[in-house]
Amino acid sequence: MPARRSLLRPFVLLGLSSFFALASIHATAANEVKLGLLGSLTGPHAGWDAPASEGAHMAVSEINAAGGVKVAGKSYALRIVEEDSQSKPDFAVSGAQKILSDDDVHVMFGMMVSTPGMASAVPIAKAKVLYVGGFTLMDSLLGKPGNELMFRSLPSDEITGKYFVPEVTKRLGLKKMGILYPNEDATRAVAKVYQQLFEKAGVEIPVIEFFQPGTTDFAPVLRKFQNKGLDGLFLGNSDPDTEAMVRQSLELGGLPKKFVYRGGSGAPAAKYVDRIDAFAWQILTRDLDTSTDPKVTSWIERYKKFSKKSVNSTTYWALTYYDSVFMVARAMEAAGTTTDPKAIAAKLRGSAYDGVRRIRYDNEGRAHADVDIGLIQGGKSLSLPVKVD
Amino acid sequence: MWLDLLQTAIDGLMVGGLYTTVALGITLVFGLVGILNFAHGQMVMLGAYVAFFTVASGMPFWLGLTLAALSMALVGGVLERFIFRRTLTDPMAGLTVSLGIIMIVENLAAGAFTPNPRFMDAPLEGSWQWGPVTLPAQRLLVLAVAVALIAVFYIFLRKARLGKAIRAMAQNRQGASLVGVRTTQVSAAIFVIGSALAGAAGALYASLYSISPYMGMTPLMKGFILAAFGGLGSVPGAILAGFLLGMSESFGARYLSAAFRDGYGFVLLIVVLLVLPNGLLGTRKGRI
Repeated sequence: MPARRSLLRPFVLLGLSSFFALASIHATAANEVKLGLLGSLTGPHAGWDAPASEGAHMAVSEINAAGGVKVAGKSYALRIVEEDSQSKPDFAVSGAQKILSDDDVHVMFGMMVSTPGMASAVPIAKAKVLYVGGFTLMDSLLGKPGNELMFRSLPSDEITGKYFVPEVTKRLGLKKMGILYPNEDATRAVAKVYQQLFEKAGVEIPVIEFFQPGTTDFAPVLRKFQNKGLDGLFLGNSDPDTEAMVRQSLELGGLPKKFVYRGGSGAPAAKYVDRIDAFAWQILTRDLDTSTDPKVTSWIERYKKFSKKSVNSTTYWALTYYDSVFMVARAMEAAGTTTDPKAIAAKLRGSAYDGVRRIRYDNEGRAHADVDIGLIQGGKSLSLPVKVD
Repeated sequence: MWLDLLQTAIDGLMVGGLYTTVALGITLVFGLVGILNFAHGQMVMLGAYVAFFTVASGMPFWLGLTLAALSMALVGGVLERFIFRRTLTDPMAGLTVSLGIIMIVENLAAGAFTPNPRFMDAPLEGSWQWGPVTLPAQRLLVLAVAVALIAVFYIFLRKARLGKAIRAMAQNRQGASLVGVRTTQVSAAIFVIGSALAGAAGALYASLYSISPYMGMTPLMKGFILAAFGGLGSVPGAILAGFLLGMSESFGARYLSAAFRDGYGFVLLIVVLLVLPNGLLGTRKGRI
């Protein structure tokens, strides 16, 4: 009998330890808020989504280190549940569905690029979770019935352009420009917005061309802009496309040497500073290269420590979700719930947050956030802060 | 008007030269050895990175170009010896393996080099003025190098012993084997030469355009179009098709719409295949 008892002892101990382990996991889960995060960590869109993911993880890490989200006297740690959409719309949909199959996910972040972003927006909207995204075409979804829980973390082109275009037109002395943009729904819509804004600012736009996405050789299409008396080109929506266009414009000759870029970095012009007249770009978040704002410099130091990476031309996107995660956490605290997306959305709508960016959401979920204008002129690089109303 | 036409034609020839350099490898490997190597585009990509890092470390472009060709020849040799030789009798297995190689190489490259596109400093800047015509220096250099590579390769096929063996194998694999051509070794040599050309094409791409771990698909697609367009296994056909494709894209984008750029090549391909089902210079059997 004693021998039998000693044989049973390990099983009893194993059973008890499993019970306590499961109980402890359950206890952890009860004090945890899961945030869904969908983005292309691999594939050609990773340049946007991977830094954005880092920003969300960094915010979660800082919030948890400060004691988590405090709701009704109880502290909740945030945990990210993440799926890689691999830069493909079908993977974005299946990734969204996988995250949404977890009943504990009530808030989702993600998607910086429109093609997979639009595809995944459908299941996310149907699931009635609060969704903070970043892709351009999200602007066309906001304010529509059924999308009341959607928010875009970046300001729309109409909002940003209203401040950006007059300032850049004045600084660069633009009078006649050409527009060269990719042939996609989102980018055609963007080109139209800026065409109107430039025309309103008194700039003539005699040539608008759309190129096939994925084009690397722009020589034939750039020749359409040659010798037209243009003094500027409004270019592209990605750094590699824009750098290729700047470089090839200089190679071909007979083209303007002032460039205006709707993208978020001055990297496309960095190698050509001495050969161009000017390059202006929208920093849709904050200037991470030359800013002396203590909020920005402190964030850069924390980012370097957290990611073990230096700041580069894609780090801007980390800020898109960094501030947004903090805003959602504050909205949860204000709403007194971590599980009711409608109540959290109600607090988010109309709220303002003074983070690294100063940001507020209007009633349709559109962000009104400070942006910086980057400018390379006369061989010098600087940034102009723009306070958005 | 004439000036514009001339400049557009030069743009087309330059792009065509690049396409041809990629297509030669594909037409040889697919047309003669029968290996459908979709990973050919990844060799272009790896060649581009070899050239990029060589130039970035302060070495001259020519060394980058040479290293890109040599390193891809080595990679091609290893792939042929340890993978594709084993799948020779099963084209579907070869196809599947090459698709797997794309995934592995792309993701390893993204992990090692980051997915961010990079630009290499061009060895030549500015442009040359030739009367009223402005010729971008780097583009002319790429055209000259591509034409030189194609010419050297063509002379090699005509004059060198190995080139003659490749031609013999193209005409009749069994017959070549009967007269003493070691077809296994020649197949390996074809794979190595095709891979070296892909590496060189990658270096030329890098001197003009941005490079990224995902850049391989476009040259691969163009290469396969050209292999079919020129006639499978036909080197003169691939050369002619390469320059025609470059010109059609260039003129289409300049005078019609740049939004349909890749479509012009397919339109040309369909028209040619309707009239000449074996391609421009293809025969039922591979021809060199």
